[in-house]
Amino acid sequence: MSTPATISIRSSAPTRAGRAPTTGSVAALATLIRRRLSLSARTPREIMVPLLTPVLFALVIAPALADIGPKVPGLDYMSFAALGTAGLLIPLNCMFAGIGVMIDRESGARRDLLAAPIARPLIVAANLTVALMITALQIGVLLGAAVARGADLHTSLGGAAWFAAAAILLAIGMYGVAETLANKIPTLEEFTGSLPAVAIVPFFFAGSLFPVTALPRFLTDFAKVLPLTHTLAVMRYGLLGRSSNGLHDIWGMDDPTTMAALSLGVVAVFAGLLTAVALRTFNRAAVS
Amino acid sequence: MTTNNDISISISVQGLTKTWPDGTQAVRGIDFDVAPGEVFGLLGPNGAGKSTTIGMLTTTVVPTAGRATVHGHDVQRDPVAARSVSAVVFQDAVVDKALSGRRNLETHARLWGVPVARRDQRIDGHATSFGLSDILDRPVSTYSGGQRRRLEIARSILSEPQVLFLDEPTVGLDPRIRHELLDLIAGLRNRLQMTVMLTTHYLDEAERLCDRVGIIHSGSIVALDTPRALLAAVGDEVVEMRVGTNGAAALAALQTDGVAGDDAFAIGTTITVPVRGRPAGDVAAAAAGLGLDLLATSTRRPTLDDVYLRLTGATLASV
Repeated sequence: MSTPATISIRSSAPTRAGRAPTTGSVAALATLIRRRLSLSARTPREIMVPLLTPVLFALVIAPALADIGPKVPGLDYMSFAALGTAGLLIPLNCMFAGIGVMIDRESGARRDLLAAPIARPLIVAANLTVALMITALQIGVLLGAAVARGADLHTSLGGAAWFAAAAILLAIGMYGVAETLANKIPTLEEFTGSLPAVAIVPFFFAGSLFPVTALPRFLTDFAKVLPLTHTLAVMRYGLLGRSSNGLHDIWGMDDPTTMAALSLGVVAVFAGLLTAVALRTFNRAAVS
Repeated sequence: MTTNNDISISISVQGLTKTWPDGTQAVRGIDFDVAPGEVFGLLGPNGAGKSTTIGMLTTTVVPTAGRATVHGHDVQRDPVAARSVSAVVFQDAVVDKALSGRRNLETHARLWGVPVARRDQRIDGHATSFGLSDILDRPVSTYSGGQRRRLEIARSILSEPQVLFLDEPTVGLDPRIRHELLDLIAGLRNRLQMTVMLTTHYLDEAERLCDRVGIIHSGSIVALDTPRALLAAVGDEVVEMRVGTNGAAALAALQTDGVAGDDAFAIGTTITVPVRGRPAGDVAAAAAGLGLDLLATSTRRPTLDDVYLRLTGATLASV
């Protein structure tokens, strides 16, 4: 048996060891974002399907409920429900982004990206950025459709900022959930099976279509710890003329700004935690 | 550790070990060095530890013990630098099928830092060389298996890596496309003086492409030399005999009568006798004269399969 040894077959001259020119983090992120956007653009399902149900809620179900339901003084139900449906759209869209992560892993170019001379968390950051971009587009469509159907939104620059901050933080947190599940769950079938539990069930408890105080007491308490409940309350505070009913139902305080800040803090903690978990799960899945 | 010293070893592997969490020892303390510009093959059956070794060298598998450097960069201490000088062609398709071939190449070129001024020129040049020009703007999902493989190989050399890893590059392809790709890979070494590390369980690939071959079995390298030297170890020719009864007993009879030497071996009912310095026909005739229950006798040139059989007692295809 031959023993392992170095045998230079060719009389090649020694070469220089050195780092090859690599792309910077910003350029790498831009490349990865461009790639993910191209993939999403070629998969209309990723953009259209999450939009379908919330738009249906905002345009058909909410007006119908507004017509037949009891009138609550001071509550424009059309507007209330239109914003509530964002609580369905954001989780659905993020979970659909998770499907893209799974396809990348199972039959896409993920392993080539992992072999690239870049910081690997940039792959997650790029996917998150695209999920945020698509979510922003979809929320714009949803709100536009709701206003066209008769929703009455009152806002200011500050109000829009509250709304945007809550929406972005929820999307970041939900993308963290999706990325984590996509790296943990072995098959697309199982991931799709988890989608209703993650994206749809909380929608019904979070004060999306009715105030959380309308729920039985124990469910009201449960709703108060859901990040989605806090998100919707801040969104309504931002876009419904500083309506603080939802925030008051959670915190029971008098100062709307304090309550909005507290709720935003809850969503920020959720986003931060889930992003950390997602990055950890991604790293463990990427490197064995 | 990144250095700027001249290097004479392109890939250095010392005591590299991988034990999976369930206790399976996939790679057991292997050692080898690959010189710059060399084509090095790791030959072994499925599950021998080839892909795990590539995984450790490309920084997707963390070694349990040992050390490895790629063009001077320690794969554990400076993985980004190690990745910057290398590229991989994976065992199965690793492409964005919804995107065009061009977009796949562009993404790779950007991530590997190919200068903007040269990017398009290089993409078009490789597309022409690899016969992809006409389909480059079509989605990869419309490509045939061979076209997709060519795209992946073209992609891997876009950054002109110092080290190219090919992990079973022709597995699953039909024979015609396989031979076409072997020509293409053989052409790479002539065009680009890059170090190539290839894993395969196809003997002809290793013989045809590699300057040196390491035979890996159950996570250990059991032989490492040039294909010619490895083949020489099993003689000038091989006499293969199939007997109707116990192969081990028949082998013992052949060795007792001096027809076969100590390097002969039996697997089941098949006996392989390496022949040196005498006509293989003489050995076959002598064996026939011993009154063994011989069902068939043939002579042929030795292959790396014989080397593997002799070292491990198993065929590459059967493990």
